[in-house]
Formats: sequence, C-alpha cells, structure tokens
Amino acid sequence: MAATLLDVQGLEIRYGDRLVQRGVSFGVERGTIFAVMGGSGCGKSSLLKCLIGLLEPAAGHVLYDGVDYWASDEAARNRLRAGFGMLFQSAALWSSMSLMENVCLPLELHTRLDAAQREHRAREVLGWVGLAEFAAYMPADLSGGMKKRAGLARAIAAEAPLLYLDEPSAGLDPVSSLRLDELIVSLRDRTGAAIVLVSHELPSLLAICDDGIFLDGDSHAPVARGAPRTLYEESSHPVVRAFLHREEPLTRPAPARARTERASSAVDEGPS
Amino acid sequence: MHPTSLLPLRQVAFLGQVVLSALSGFPARWRFRGQDFARVAADCSARAVPIVTVVNVLVGAILAFVGAVQLVKFGAGIYVADLVAIAVSREMAAIITAVVMAGRTGAAFAAELATMQTNEEVDALEVLGLNAVDFLVLPRVLALFAIMPLLFVYACVTGLLGGMVVAAGMLDLSPAAYMERSVDALTWTHLGLGLAKSIVFGAMVAITGCYFGLTARRDAAGVGVATTQAVVVSIVAVIVIDAVFAVCADALGI
Repeated sequence: MAATLLDVQGLEIRYGDRLVQRGVSFGVERGTIFAVMGGSGCGKSSLLKCLIGLLEPAAGHVLYDGVDYWASDEAARNRLRAGFGMLFQSAALWSSMSLMENVCLPLELHTRLDAAQREHRAREVLGWVGLAEFAAYMPADLSGGMKKRAGLARAIAAEAPLLYLDEPSAGLDPVSSLRLDELIVSLRDRTGAAIVLVSHELPSLLAICDDGIFLDGDSHAPVARGAPRTLYEESSHPVVRAFLHREEPLTRPAPARARTERASSAVDEGPS
Repeated sequence: MHPTSLLPLRQVAFLGQVVLSALSGFPARWRFRGQDFARVAADCSARAVPIVTVVNVLVGAILAFVGAVQLVKFGAGIYVADLVAIAVSREMAAIITAVVMAGRTGAAFAAELATMQTNEEVDALEVLGLNAVDFLVLPRVLALFAIMPLLFVYACVTGLLGGMVVAAGMLDLSPAAYMERSVDALTWTHLGLGLAKSIVFGAMVAITGCYFGLTARRDAAGVGVATTQAVVVSIVAVIVIDAVFAVCADALGI
C-alpha cells in the first residue's frame, strides 16, 4: 500500500463566483502531522470541507489511497469516509447523545464490532483523552476543553488511518492546549495515523507538525510548503514571515502596564 | 444539508427526499436511531396533551356558546350538540391541534436542527456518511405522522366535553342527552375527513419545521428566523390545505 494516504492535486475552491483558493496540491504520508496554515478567511476550513466531502471543489482531485473521492459514487465515498476521522472546530458533538453514544456511532457505522465491543472501545478511547468517567454525560454538561477531547475521542475511535483536526486548540487555555498537543503526538505514535491539522496556534504548529502548506488569502493560492519549523526559520516570503513570527516575543507589543512601569523606572533612574 | 443539493425548487426537492427516504428504507433500512424516534414521539404526544386539552376544550365551549345563543332563538337548542360534534370532528380538532403542534413541535424541530447546523453537528453526521434527511428528519416526520391521528381523536373528545359543559350550563341539557345527540350527529365521514387532515397536517408541520431548521443560516439569528418561518409557514399551510380539503370534499359530495 502506498505511503501517501492523501493526495491533493490542483484543487480549486469557490463559493459561486468567489474564488477562495486555487492550485492547492500536497500529499500526506502515514505517520506525519501535516499543518494547514494561513490567516483568517484564507480558506483553510473550506479546504478541509473539500477533503472530507462537505464542499465539492470547482476543480482538482482529492485522492485517498489513489481513489478520487469526488469522482466516486456514493457507495465508494462511504467506504472512503471510513478511512478518516474528523474533529470539528466546535467539536460538533451530537447534543442529543451522551459521550458514550457519540463515540459509539462511528464504530457502529464503520466497524463490525458488536455492541459490547463498541462500548469497550468507546471507554478505551475516552480513557485516552481523560474522560472515562464522563461517558454518561451529555455534551451540554462539559466544558469547552472536555468537548474538544471528546470530539477527538470520537474522531479516533474507529482507528481511521487519517485524522482531520480543525483548530483543536482554539479557545483552550495554554495548559489544556499543551495537553491536547501531547495527546495528538501520542496518538500519531501509537496508531501511526496521519494527521492533518488546521491551526493558528503557533507553538502547536512549531512543536508537533512535520510538514505543511501555507495558504495566502490575498493571492488565493498556496505560497509555501514545508514543516512549520523550517518555514519559521528559513522562509523569506513576507506573508509567511508575518504569520509565523507574529508571536515572536521580541516583536510583540508590551502590555500597557509594563510600558508604564518601564517608563516610570526610566524616569526614576534618569537623575541618578 | 449539502449546499449543492439545494435545488431551485428546493422545498419540493426536500419533500421528495423525505418521501424517498421513508419509502426506500421501509422499515428495515431506516437509518435513524429508535431512541430518537421515541424521544420525539414522547415530546409531541404525552407532553403536548395539556395544551391540546386546554385549547380544544375551549374551542368546543366557544362553538357551543355561539351556537346556543343563535339556536335557542329558534327553539333548536338541542342542535348545539350536532353543531359542536360536526364542527369539531370535521374541522376544528384537526386545525387547532395542527396549529398548536406547529407552534410547539414544528418550532422545536426548526430550532433544534438549526442549532445543530450552527454547531456543525449535521456536518459531523454527513462526514460519517449519514444523510441528515434519513437520520434527523425521518424520525421526526414519522413521529408526528403517527401521533397526530391520536391527538386528533383526543382533541375530538375534549372538544365535545367543552361543548357539553356549556350546553349543560346554558341550555339545561343533561350530559347523557348531549352525548347521545353528539353520537348521532357524528358519522364516519366526518371523523374520517378530520383524521385524514390530521395525518396530512402532522407530516406537513414536521417537514416544514425540519426544512427551515436544516436550511437555516448558521448563526444565532438564523435559528430565530428559521423558527419563526417554520411556525408562520406551517400555520398558513394548515389553512390552505384545509381549504383544499373543503373544496375536494364538496366536489366529492362528502
């Protein structure tokens, strides 16, 4: 079986007449964490929608193990869908189902496990994300971070070889965000899954991603390819540098209070 | 719903999708969860009983009151029972119950599905290969389709009781005499017509609520708009469909 799980070729994304992105091409291999980067509104989530079958591209191909998703019939698409899991930005847990039911539904659809095996597997993955004791809870009873982790559990439950994670750290505190990063890396190491990560979180991108693509919203096209760390250190493209270096501590504006304190200490030190 | 599946005549297309979903899988390959059907059925039956009772008792009472005021002038007070029985079974029980269910259950369907759209829950289903019509719409439509005839029968009984209370109070009719007269006036034709309407109204209210929920804009305002549209369109449709039934019944001599 080919190492490249996902092969995107010349994808063009449009909403009616409005061009979002064009010429998007990349491949994702097993065991890699692939970053989709770019500013807000550049089309990252739209790209993800094209990859998971929610938005038909205007042109181009999305190949899973060599099979073109958008050229396939519904039965073939259903088989391809079993090959990927998805964590939505909002976690998108089904609100009328408990966490256990949320995790069991993909298992029911995409595996041949019986009810007892499904429940065992659901408890196992909920345990991985630290939510084993919350299996009977409804999504409305969970915090934002817990919902994200539950969404991750649902995405990984069926052991799909490819995972899509749409801004998994968005809205989480730094500690939760770090914990989620660790979880993603351990997941990749444990299952060998490929992970496509859409994120604005620079520390996450630099720390865990092996490869990536940078989408530019102004030119409506990708402007860089490579690992975020490499792009951070070597890219000379102004848009890429502006995005990746925005969190650079030396260039970050100081908080108002710190500026005031510095100014007052300078005044104090001046005469002496 | 998949944006590309929204056709110019998308309301008709949606209706077709629901009918196909119901017929193509019947019933072994229906893909919704039994718990969802049970939850919706309980919500639109047992929990709807108090408001259906209150509204239909009052409608029966109002009909009896208006009828009594006029019929007593001609010494025909006993015919209040006929008036209430025919009006309730043929028109009012089905219409009033449908209006109540449009405001209550149809609005709830629209709000719930619109919120699911906003929260990407519908997208999450589609990524799994589950069609929103099969998984979300069908259990709701089937639940209301099954429950509305039962609510109609119950509404008829409560309407007759409302009329009986007023007739007993204003005309000194004994409950036994009133009910005997009502049973004489009730025919299977009236009941069958009302029953047929209630089934159509039930399906229409559910489909309308689900349609506006699934096609809602994905924000908080979109949920509100979808709910309002579902209620308004359902109520107007109830009246229009009832008028069509009246014309057809007249043409058929029913």
